[in-house]
Amino acid sequence: MINPVLLIAIPLLAAFISVLLKKLSMVLLFGVSIFTAISGFFLQKGMFMIGGWKPPFGINLMIDDYSFIIIIVINLLFFITLLSGMWDLKKNKTILMVILAGINGLVMTGDLFNLFVFLEIITISGYILAASSGKYYSVFKYLVLGTVGSSLYLFGIMVLYGTLGTLNMADIAQHVPDISNGVKLISLTFIFAGLGVEAKLLPFNAWVKGIYGNTTPLTGPLFSTVFATAAIAVFGRVFGQILVPDSTIVFAFIALGLITFIFAEASAMASKKLRELLTFSSIGQAGLIITMFLIGGFYAALIQLINNAFAKTILFSYAAKAYKSNGNDSIDNMSGLFRKNVMLGFGFTVATLSLIGLPLFFGFYAKISMLQSAFAVNMWIPAFIILGSLIEGIYYIRLLVKLWNPGVEGQESSELVQSQFVIKNGFSLSLIAVLIGILFVVSGIIPDFLTENISKAADSLSDAATYLSTVLGGI
Amino acid sequence: MKKLIAILLTVVVVLFVFANLYSDDSDFKVFGEKLLEQTVSEEFVNKTVDLQRDQPETGSANIVTSIVVNYRSFDTMGEVTVLFISALGVALLGGVLNKKVAFRHKPGFIINQGMKIIVGIILITGIYIFVHGHLTPGGGFPGGAMIGSAFLLMYLSNDKFRSRITAFKILEGLAGSLIMIIGLVGLSTGGYFLYNFLPNGEIGQILSAGIIPILYVLIGLKVGSEVSNILGDFFIGEVEQ
Amino acid sequence: MSQYLYIALMFVGIYGLLSQKNILKMIISLNIMELGLNLFIISTGYINDAKAPIILFGNEGNYVDPLPQAIVLTAIVIGLGVTAVALMLARNIYKTYGTYEIDEIRGENDD
Repeated sequence: MINPVLLIAIPLLAAFISVLLKKLSMVLLFGVSIFTAISGFFLQKGMFMIGGWKPPFGINLMIDDYSFIIIIVINLLFFITLLSGMWDLKKNKTILMVILAGINGLVMTGDLFNLFVFLEIITISGYILAASSGKYYSVFKYLVLGTVGSSLYLFGIMVLYGTLGTLNMADIAQHVPDISNGVKLISLTFIFAGLGVEAKLLPFNAWVKGIYGNTTPLTGPLFSTVFATAAIAVFGRVFGQILVPDSTIVFAFIALGLITFIFAEASAMASKKLRELLTFSSIGQAGLIITMFLIGGFYAALIQLINNAFAKTILFSYAAKAYKSNGNDSIDNMSGLFRKNVMLGFGFTVATLSLIGLPLFFGFYAKISMLQSAFAVNMWIPAFIILGSLIEGIYYIRLLVKLWNPGVEGQESSELVQSQFVIKNGFSLSLIAVLIGILFVVSGIIPDFLTENISKAADSLSDAATYLSTVLGGI
Repeated sequence: MKKLIAILLTVVVVLFVFANLYSDDSDFKVFGEKLLEQTVSEEFVNKTVDLQRDQPETGSANIVTSIVVNYRSFDTMGEVTVLFISALGVALLGGVLNKKVAFRHKPGFIINQGMKIIVGIILITGIYIFVHGHLTPGGGFPGGAMIGSAFLLMYLSNDKFRSRITAFKILEGLAGSLIMIIGLVGLSTGGYFLYNFLPNGEIGQILSAGIIPILYVLIGLKVGSEVSNILGDFFIGEVEQ
Repeated sequence: MSQYLYIALMFVGIYGLLSQKNILKMIISLNIMELGLNLFIISTGYINDAKAPIILFGNEGNYVDPLPQAIVLTAIVIGLGVTAVALMLARNIYKTYGTYEIDEIRGENDD
């Protein structure tokens, strides 16, 4: 059984050593990534104090069923991202090790200020990685919005400190229902705004198009799967368990989530470039999953989160590699590509269909449980979800049809794309695509192994009493 | 027009914040009127967090230092990492320009000669501050920033001063690895990461408080070398290797 | 009374980000916002008639709250890191686009 602090300490130690011994950094990076991906399965569950000081006086790490699943998913996805982006690493190896430590710390922590510090670690590393694309103005926009978001989050938690006198998540969860409405409104709104910048919610996501739309085969899957999953998982933890909003405030938050979903899907329908389409689809999924966390449908949110994460890995890797090999990623130029690369086409198709939620794939269970939880609240929310899913289905199927059938422009356009495409590492991408595709199909038919664990995770999230007693039980 | 909307938006939000925080029935503690017993800090100040350890549980006289390096050491580790990646990022981004920044007015005689006296004083003050972090206000971060400013003076006053001193990179990596290794040693001997495994001694002596002075010295050296690296990268881009 | 000033300072910084058109001025507004925020955090820890939290400086037991001071220490360093990266990005923007004004950059940027 492995102590979860090692998931943070060992990548950081490797990062510091790799500055001293530059020759070893590739070995260190892959070694550390394999270590965390495997040891995610053998983590010791429970509460871990740092330095031996009991909470709320010290910082604690909390591994319950929810964090357990998210950690396994994130570390696996990080390893797959490394495989996909192997040829673009250049000088980024140290920063990738710091990112690995940061995402693990973000999901495991039990203290609000510690969350701020790890959030800053991740976002600053994100700025530096995104700057490798050459579009400095978009990265500057991301920097400004990200810093404003973190500052608003810090303001929110210090208002809570000024009222309650503590910064520990469990302690705050115990005392929040008792404070006056004005202070609760201010602090919850500012914390929502702060976390919403990284989670891509609507008024705060002006940076997404510039960053996700210009990604390389390394940063594309990294941002859209690893960062997005970690940010949304933190959202679920904070707003699902710790600071559950009252019914007056929560409707405003749900409205923001649904508006994000609908607008993003509509913009995706109108885009002609593959990376832009996938960007808007990611924003839409983020809005949808956050709405699910806010209305209490934790099981549906978790399934869709995992579904989205694995699907976007293949989709973004393919889109970024196509851009890198050909200089543009316009969809019309890619028609008929999958006739020549059947393995890649299979994986891509299965990922897309699972994302939409067709039966026989894993995403079907996500759609069913989302509609179930949404119907339990009122009639408007399922209406929006169905509307958005229809739009999503339309543009994805249109995309697939185009990619499987050579267009009217003739055979030479598909020939041209084909001959330039599979130069660098196309085979390993196809292999990963086939494996993930098979995973989606198998878990679509026999979902019990995964759904059992996910429902355990969802139950542990909705069970605030166990969380409190595990953390504060020693007092 | 756009400025008008911006002003309006900001004023509305500010009034919203004031109305909710400072209304009559809000629980937000008024400035200056809170009691220490209602916060977590009471146990920090009285050093009574863990009654099963030998008293005093942290031997440092500066209570803020004991919080930063002992009770909430994880935050400090994260902060050191943030500075580390900022220095790394500035070095990575700086590779675009390949020529050295040249000054329009060369530094004169006063700066050149006066620098030699003042730099030594600034360096010694910085080192004093981070070595005495557990006795006086200050600590690793202000001390490291002073060391960085001493190097800035050297860059500004001497046109031919070579930055990219490799010793800084080695110092940075070495200090960082030592911090993590001390934490892991704490994990193996005491069962908790960054456990204070050295004896505490007497409050007020310079060799007291377990691992706190060691950590602060390492942090001070690390911060000093990183700030100097950042400043150097602004003057000269990264040399291709 | 002073807490009103600190919150107002923070929002002056945000107003600066919304209305300024020059990249260097935006970085300065970012710093003003962080300054206001740090001052606000320290002010939540003040207790009337209490002294600095250091033993041996001649006061007995009546200390100001030390936790916000530890938090601000971290927040200042993080602000330093972000400012360093932002200034390096500004230098690269100047090298690529030749100007610091947002309107001209948006014209050349096809994003």
